[in-house]
Amino acid sequence: MKDMASKPRVGIFGLTGCAGDQLQILNCEDRLLDLARDLDIVDWVMVKTDNDHDCALNIAFVEGVVATERDLESLRAVRRRAGILVALGTCAVWGGLPAMRNSLSKEALGRETGCGADGGIEIEEARPAADFVPFDFLLPGCPIERGEFLALVRALLAGTTPELPAVPVCWECKTRELPCRVIFNHEVCCGAMTRGGCGARCPGHGVACAGCRGPVEEPNYDANVAMFADRGLSWQDIAARMRVFSAPVWMTMGLEREARRGGND
Amino acid sequence: MIRTVTIPHLGRVEGHGGIRVALADMSVTDVNMDIHEGSRYYEKLLVGKHFRDVQGIITRVCAICSADHTVVALSALESALDVHESERTSVLRGLLLHGAAVESHALHVFALALPDFLGFDSVMAMAQRYPDEVAFALRLKQLGNHIQSVVGGRAVHPINTLIGGFGKLPDHQTIASLRRDLLEVIGPLMGAIELVSSIEVPDWAARPTLFVALRPTRDGFGYRGESICTSGGAEFPVEGYREAVREFSVEHSHARHAALESGETYMVGSLARLALWGDRLCGRAAQVYAELFPDRGVDNVLLNTRAQLVETVYSLESAIECCEVLLGFDDAETEQQEIVGRAGRGVAAIEAPRGTLIHEYELDDNGRVSAANVVTPTAQNLANLERDLRSSGDHLLRETAASDAELKRGFEMIARAYDPCISCSVHVMRVEDSADDRA
Repeated sequence: MKDMASKPRVGIFGLTGCAGDQLQILNCEDRLLDLARDLDIVDWVMVKTDNDHDCALNIAFVEGVVATERDLESLRAVRRRAGILVALGTCAVWGGLPAMRNSLSKEALGRETGCGADGGIEIEEARPAADFVPFDFLLPGCPIERGEFLALVRALLAGTTPELPAVPVCWECKTRELPCRVIFNHEVCCGAMTRGGCGARCPGHGVACAGCRGPVEEPNYDANVAMFADRGLSWQDIAARMRVFSAPVWMTMGLEREARRGGND
Repeated sequence: MIRTVTIPHLGRVEGHGGIRVALADMSVTDVNMDIHEGSRYYEKLLVGKHFRDVQGIITRVCAICSADHTVVALSALESALDVHESERTSVLRGLLLHGAAVESHALHVFALALPDFLGFDSVMAMAQRYPDEVAFALRLKQLGNHIQSVVGGRAVHPINTLIGGFGKLPDHQTIASLRRDLLEVIGPLMGAIELVSSIEVPDWAARPTLFVALRPTRDGFGYRGESICTSGGAEFPVEGYREAVREFSVEHSHARHAALESGETYMVGSLARLALWGDRLCGRAAQVYAELFPDRGVDNVLLNTRAQLVETVYSLESAIECCEVLLGFDDAETEQQEIVGRAGRGVAAIEAPRGTLIHEYELDDNGRVSAANVVTPTAQNLANLERDLRSSGDHLLRETAASDAELKRGFEMIARAYDPCISCSVHVMRVEDSADDRA
């Protein structure tokens, strides 16, 4: 990387979320001190007290959704400071659970505006960080996979970015020869529409994929919905399950419309 | 002269918060622990969801406490559905909670709190001076995560945990190997405890505090219980928690605050559990308790770090016992029950690393959530935390004529000692008045 002759200066930031992706970095216990050796982590409020909030950064990692004006200001400031900006986790990439609120009315949420400390005012919809500023790399996962994060750091240090698996979880499940949750158990398994990389962890535990890594590229949405419906699963359950981790994108794919139409049948 | 000491963004805690303290001459006039993280409305997001989908959603209130949210949610839902956990499920859930406690306490004691006492900015900086201690602390934290992976399927946001059981049971070989790992770590932990016991705990934070914790289900110490007890001698069944705990909104925070019905603020967490049930500890945990709390005094929140270490020993010893019990069962693939959706209400509480965590669910005839309520430890601690900031500020000003920089450091130490989990505290909508929420 051209200006990284010495240690790259790095910042790690969280917007609104559960801090799970920052925690996954800390969960690289056996590699944490190596990371601290290879990277000059100058701004990481969750882990350090002596932080530089203004300096230019070679790499910045951001997790979470933009839910408040303060989130948006922080995100824009980080974008200005960062050479390479990386989104960590499904919230930052797809909206995650916080974006589920967007389909509910203010009244249903019991929500008030103008509350909270300065800058804490909520914006209308909680949306993925990736909707607001350009990112250089998106690493999904709820939470991110430790191995994928470490591979990403290695690649960034070498001046490149890694290839994420392009296959769905369903493919990884088949290669493990696990029994299909849809065919044998009539469950709403999101594995055929969800980006792989987890090694089909949930089906491996006898549990249907919940879609926590967000959609794979070009998911065959219609075929999936028809397959669930053939097995007598209700539209509400399909819609409810599929929009848990990436509501904004499924909404644009028409899941809500389909669900409503199906629900009226 | 009136002035304000401000910590805009509190470091080394989970989530986004700050502290503002107004001072006039030699006393504190106003204290705000600002929570500026956005609300996430979890309780509202659950409405209409099928009971099987609740755990995967509610665990994401907080990554660090994800195993705790999982276990308490499953227990509350099982209560609503009249499902009873098998002995094996109970032991596995207990093991999961011990893993979560070891991970969370190791992270807080060594990486978040100890740098305060030893004068470092971060655990990475501390590693240069204390390489062996930090390496061990990380190994301990990793072991806590390993337990959670073995039981829950992964370290953060468990996936293997179901209503009525588990998707895949860990096999005997895995449990036997886990047991060996646990046995190996206890010896070195005693060395790390010596380091902590050599650090003097400042007395400017001392203040009599009311403590709250669950009465452990078994006679000993423990993280699961059916009733909420106060150090003032009151006791409430978990189902009636709304009569014990009063939640209210404050202007400066997205998180609710809490007090007892009497208006008294209180502390939950490791120190509260030791204050109420520490005498029930046995084995090495009891020894370490005697060593770190020689006169049994607990009225100083800065002792919470020591309390977490005592619990770390307790959880490691208990996890070994869990492994031994699990090895006595037949090696089986899975443990599941047929569950039929039905209407019902269920409340459950557990002791999460940061304190008493309560979940309540109401299900409709189809087993869909019609209402949910979650009371987190951090929300319960915030009002007490503000009182500690006030009393410590007064003490530091009067007794030591502290500079603003010293005050800031003191305030940060107080806040961090509570091990606040800000994500947890802002999981809900803001309510104008607690009465709205009880409708």
